[in-house]
Amino acid sequence: MSDKLKQVISKQRKHEEDSLKRSDDIVQLVGFVIGDEEYAVPILAIQEIIKPFPWTRVPQVPKYVVGVFNMRGAVIPLIDLRLKFGLSPKKHNEETRFIVMRHGDDIAGFVIDRLTMAIRISKSKIGPAPETANGDDTAIDGVGKQEDRIITILKVNKLLERDF
Amino acid sequence: MDEFQEILQDFLVESFELIEQLDQDLVELETRPDDLELLNRIFRVAHTVKGASSFLNFDVLTHLTHHMEDVLNRARHGELVITPDIMDVILESIDLMKTLLNIIRDTSADGGVDVSACVARLDRCVGGSGEIKTPVSQAAPKVEEEPEIEFVDTEDDLDYENMGADELEAEIERLLNQRQAEDKVKRAAKKGSNASSSEPEEEFTEEDYEPTIKVPMTVNPTPKPASIRDSSDSDDARAAAPAKKQQVVEQTIRVDVKRLDHLMNLIGELVLAKNRLIKINDDVEERYEGEGFLEELNQVVSIVSLVTTDLQIAVMKTRMLPIGKVFNKFPRMIRDLSRELNKKIELEIFGEETELDKSIVEEVGDPLVHIIRNSCDHGIEIPKIRAEQGKNETGTIKLKAYNEGNQIVIQIDDDGKGLDADMLKRKSLEKGLITQKESDNMSDKEAFTLIFKPGFSTAATVTNVSGRGVGMDVVKTNIEKLNGIIDIDSEVGIGTSMKLKIPLTLAIIQALLVGVQEEHYAIPLASVLETVRISKDEVYTVEGRSVMRLREDVLPLVHIGDIFEVERILDSSEYAYVVVLGLGTSKLGLIVDTLVGQEEIVIKSLGEFLKGIEGIAGATIRGDGGVTLIVDVIAIMDMSKRVKTKALKDTTSDAAMSTREKTKASDYAVMIVDDSKTDRTIMRKALEPLGITLVEAGDGQEALSILKQGDYNFDAMLVDIEMPRMDGYSLAIEIKKYNRYKNLPLIAVTSRTGKSDRMRGVESGMVEYITKPYSADYLASVVQRNINFKSEFLR
Repeated sequence: MSDKLKQVISKQRKHEEDSLKRSDDIVQLVGFVIGDEEYAVPILAIQEIIKPFPWTRVPQVPKYVVGVFNMRGAVIPLIDLRLKFGLSPKKHNEETRFIVMRHGDDIAGFVIDRLTMAIRISKSKIGPAPETANGDDTAIDGVGKQEDRIITILKVNKLLERDF
Repeated sequence: MDEFQEILQDFLVESFELIEQLDQDLVELETRPDDLELLNRIFRVAHTVKGASSFLNFDVLTHLTHHMEDVLNRARHGELVITPDIMDVILESIDLMKTLLNIIRDTSADGGVDVSACVARLDRCVGGSGEIKTPVSQAAPKVEEEPEIEFVDTEDDLDYENMGADELEAEIERLLNQRQAEDKVKRAAKKGSNASSSEPEEEFTEEDYEPTIKVPMTVNPTPKPASIRDSSDSDDARAAAPAKKQQVVEQTIRVDVKRLDHLMNLIGELVLAKNRLIKINDDVEERYEGEGFLEELNQVVSIVSLVTTDLQIAVMKTRMLPIGKVFNKFPRMIRDLSRELNKKIELEIFGEETELDKSIVEEVGDPLVHIIRNSCDHGIEIPKIRAEQGKNETGTIKLKAYNEGNQIVIQIDDDGKGLDADMLKRKSLEKGLITQKESDNMSDKEAFTLIFKPGFSTAATVTNVSGRGVGMDVVKTNIEKLNGIIDIDSEVGIGTSMKLKIPLTLAIIQALLVGVQEEHYAIPLASVLETVRISKDEVYTVEGRSVMRLREDVLPLVHIGDIFEVERILDSSEYAYVVVLGLGTSKLGLIVDTLVGQEEIVIKSLGEFLKGIEGIAGATIRGDGGVTLIVDVIAIMDMSKRVKTKALKDTTSDAAMSTREKTKASDYAVMIVDDSKTDRTIMRKALEPLGITLVEAGDGQEALSILKQGDYNFDAMLVDIEMPRMDGYSLAIEIKKYNRYKNLPLIAVTSRTGKSDRMRGVESGMVEYITKPYSADYLASVVQRNINFKSEFLR
């Protein structure tokens, strides 16, 4: 009886350890769509996700920097990822969101077409960025494979880097 | 506030903070007398207060803390066990210390409290003889100034009883009593003279001493029978005391900047909530017009919004400090330096009320010290040489602070010997800081910056003041850390002028808010000379630049929209406003559509990502929560000179914005401009099969107004040349004036076939030239080509 109990307990413990180990290997991402493609960034890099609201245009910047907006007293740049990724502009609609991302002290809001979902994906399912997009300059961190779809995982620090 | 007061203030703030902690520590110490960490902490307090008070010449306080320090030092080295008796003495001494500090706070001098008895007991704790000669001699002269010591003395008497007397103490008591008697005589004499000489206010002060001395005494944890009696009369007087205290000392409290930042964020949220509230109020007002509760709601909303705005400003201002805080320490420094260096130097300070964000104020202190030391040591000559050169023997250093555009400028001028560019180069070469080639190519201005190189020094010998070649390096690093720049101007024999230009990250400035189209911009009011309303025909063009006549002068003009690439969709009335900007001697007229008003704004940086945008000094958040950009006047003056060429270069940039993604054929819009209904119908019939949206206009004027309305995003226009009111060429020229439509394909559809007609068409910006008659297919294909019609939409 007691042996059995021990067995059960050890089994349970093993199970727990397993799940712990697994959660170590799992990355939590937030997925969103720009144009026809699905992208994702680590959930911890996201400060908040908000519905579009008025912003102020800033002159003499690339077109993808649409302006600045006020987030509770802080002036934050707003970047349209459609334009940044070379897509044509699109009117904001019901599904458009601003994702405010932070990396260290750098912070910016990004316009995306629509959110998909929070994604839990194990590290083993994330492949490296495609050869063509390799190197230090790419904003692609890796490619996550999930069932029927492929998600491009972006480097937040690259997105927040000023490149003009 | 003079310099001494400033230091005193800091000393008091620090001391009271330390003592607050001390009280807790002491209570703990009683339960854990062996805790070394605690003892060390208490020791450090005594030590710190002693050090500072000796520096400030508070002899009585120094004397007391010195003996406290002795006792505690022994205790922490394990040479003395803290018994309750010793604890009593320590506590008493700390209370005395508090009393002294209170007196210092109120009168800026210590004294009025007899510390000798306590010191004697402290001495006895460490095994000393209890000799109290020093306190008598030290306290006595002070007592002359602040005679109100009666209560303390009484208490001391009682404490002796608590302590349990021994022979030594009897002796002490005898000495004390003797001295007390002496004091009383002196006091009586002093009181007499006081009464005759002092003003009524001073008398009030004297009365107040009772409570200020008493208050700390009553909270003494050591039980003392005497304090009960004393507290009764102190309570009455205590009520009067605080009011007096506030007059004497500026009340300050130190707050962690993080807390202020947090407060700031919270207020930001509050402002947004307020704005929503106002909007809701407006909605409610519309819906329930005439209802009784509306009035009340209105009142509440307006109070909330008023208070929120005030609160916001108040918190922002908590972060601002006048630069005087830094400047104030320099007069003393100059005095000391001039004595040390045997020079005559005078310091003039201007603009000390200029406000800077706290973090910057803290950072600029060190660089300024180095620059001023440098000016004193290397800049100003010794009086003899000055006299020989026909200069005033007394050298002058001017310290100025002022706002300039988006910067705070701190200027340090001296009338010393100036910087010798050749000498600087030679020295740098000697020290191997630069190469011969670099030296040859160096301008004077570049040579001046050599003084910031680490390791550089022109001083022949290392003095106390400078010559190590570190100071100016520190200046550069610190200023650069603040994103500031240093500008040096110097002339040999005349003097040196150094400008530290530091961006003001959080400064509050007055600004003029102007509007162009739908956008608003804030212009720092300091740079605005005046505003004028002009009609469009007052603007002349000279050599491709717009100018106007302002009284006697010709004022160059630039449209704010040209500088900030504002799409000018709505062409406003024939009047415009000109904001006359002045900076130094240069002037510029900035044409704006509207003047919104004057507002106090807080400059916020655009952050790392957007920093350094030309013409923009930063942004501010307006009452409605929106962001308004702040104009950088210096940069605008620069930009205005080349804004013409810029406009031409920018032809392609707007194209991307106006092309919206097309998901169906009807997303394409084409305007047909022709005065003949028949022709329009023919064109419509030719294009309808494509399924695109068609809009018709009867002449150029109509076409223009349709364009301006902006209901459609046209992908192309079919334009007839011969039309009433406005012909095709003029229409094309007008359209091309709008940035937005620069790339709109204009297709001429006309029966004019002459070569010169075609040329005119090209000149006015037509991309295609279709001659009537044409086949429907041909027209459709030309249009398709010009609007990049996607083939999948073809039915």
